[in-house]
Amino acid sequence: MADWHKILVAVDDSSLSERVLHYVGEVVGGIDKAAICLLHVYPEPPPYYFTEKHTLQEYREEKEAAARQVFNRAGQVLAGHAIGESRISTICLMATGKTFSKSILQVQKEGDFGTVVLGKRGISKAEEFLFGSVSNAVIRECHDFTVWVVS
Amino acid sequence: MTKTLNDIPQHIVALYKAHPVCSSIRRQPKVFGDTSNFTSIDYGDVIVADNRYFVVTGHTVEGRFGVDDQPKQWVPKVVDLESGVSHILKLVFHEVFSVSVGSFTIPCYRSPEKEARILELTEDHPRFMKGKAVEDEAGNLVRILDIISGRRLDKHIYRHDCSHQEYFTAYLPAILKEYLECARAISFLHQAGFRHGDIRRDHILVEYDTGTFRWIDFDYEFYLPERPFALDLLELGNLLMYLVARGNYPPKKIVDDPGLGQKVLDTIVPDDLSLLSRNRVVNLQKLFPYIPDAMNNIFMHFSQGASVWYDTVDELVADVEQVTASL
Ligand SMILES: Nc1ncnc2c1ncn2[C@@H]1O[C@H](COP(=O)(O)OP(=O)(O)O)[C@@H](O)[C@H]1O
Ligand SMILES: [Mg+2]
Repeated sequence: MADWHKILVAVDDSSLSERVLHYVGEVVGGIDKAAICLLHVYPEPPPYYFTEKHTLQEYREEKEAAARQVFNRAGQVLAGHAIGESRISTICLMATGKTFSKSILQVQKEGDFGTVVLGKRGISKAEEFLFGSVSNAVIRECHDFTVWVVS
Repeated sequence: MTKTLNDIPQHIVALYKAHPVCSSIRRQPKVFGDTSNFTSIDYGDVIVADNRYFVVTGHTVEGRFGVDDQPKQWVPKVVDLESGVSHILKLVFHEVFSVSVGSFTIPCYRSPEKEARILELTEDHPRFMKGKAVEDEAGNLVRILDIISGRRLDKHIYRHDCSHQEYFTAYLPAILKEYLECARAISFLHQAGFRHGDIRRDHILVEYDTGTFRWIDFDYEFYLPERPFALDLLELGNLLMYLVARGNYPPKKIVDDPGLGQKVLDTIVPDDLSLLSRNRVVNLQKLFPYIPDAMNNIFMHFSQGASVWYDTVDELVADVEQVTASL
């Protein structure tokens, strides 16, 4: 089992993400060993994106700029819980040819994170059937690490 | 510049003149090597693709159920002047729109490339329409389809004028056998990373001479990154229920049906309705009590009350296989 102090937190620009970060901060703020990696996954461009004469490069730049803002804001929240920059790293990636949940699971595995933290929006069953639930998919696949789901 | 008959080989012009279309148009036919402007291609015009000359003999129509049939200008019916063989062409139409699924809307668009790749992938698969995709002189991906000589599946199931119970016992088993093959075919697509995208009861044609069910129309594509195959799966479920019930059963239809009526409708609770639409009863056993439990259980996977869903088409196929084996 991987070291639980290596914590991967999946974030976006939602207020739920902010609550997730507060939770993580309160729980591990005082534990010096705990290191936090913020992960932002963004989708592939919708295929009609290209028919409107945009390039993939443009798309990625736009998404990465947005991710920097998410990370900045997250850094502020964590700083409020005495977690300094030295304990925070970031990863931003595009879910290329796979689902969000698979992308998160891949980062977990590659980085050997012992804890994965996710938010869970309250969605209806119908929404979950059609659009899926990242947290449920990650939970279903987790075998040798811990998942915190913040709702 | 628009081309005319003067721009194409003499022997093709001769074939054109001999075709019945020629005597029924009162204007100079146009010749299109570039199909970008498909709305200006009319009856009697000639489309050049794959070094072949296709005369337009009509357009396909497709009713959005309940709406009047609209001619599809990007899907002309044609005859290859040299071989005399009829085809359907699908011309490039970059349309972005949204489809409603229950209370959700999903952005959707047409992808000629996707349809072309599926045609290639399924070249030897008996459950898919056949065709060849080629670029016209402007680089548009034109799909030259072989015409399936068959009847729409939704018309096919009403061929016999009989009670539902008779339909259920006498005809449904054979229909489900064909349905299963079509569902397996969709699983084959999914495994190759494609989805059909527009599974509907009129996108299966039933061949007149063999009774084989075959899929048509593969160009819809949409964006569902976390559950890429959920929509196909949902629609396969809906199609299955449509076939078993010989129609869709919204609450209003139950009330109006003399064999069912308010009495039956009163037994329907929210958990009996479709996960995605309150206007669709999936607990069909309440309407047709002779539906066996095992079959009804399949439908209940698509209900609001479901606690487990099918995650893949293969899971659905396995259950349908079991049920049909014991019918
Ligand atoms: N291979 C085929 N064989 C016979 N009829 C076809 C075939 N492909 C399409 N059609 C007919 O043409 C109509 C329109 O074609 P379709 O591929 O469904 O176009 P769209 O993508 O615009 O819906 C179909 O509903 C069907 O009636
Ligand atoms: Mg169609």
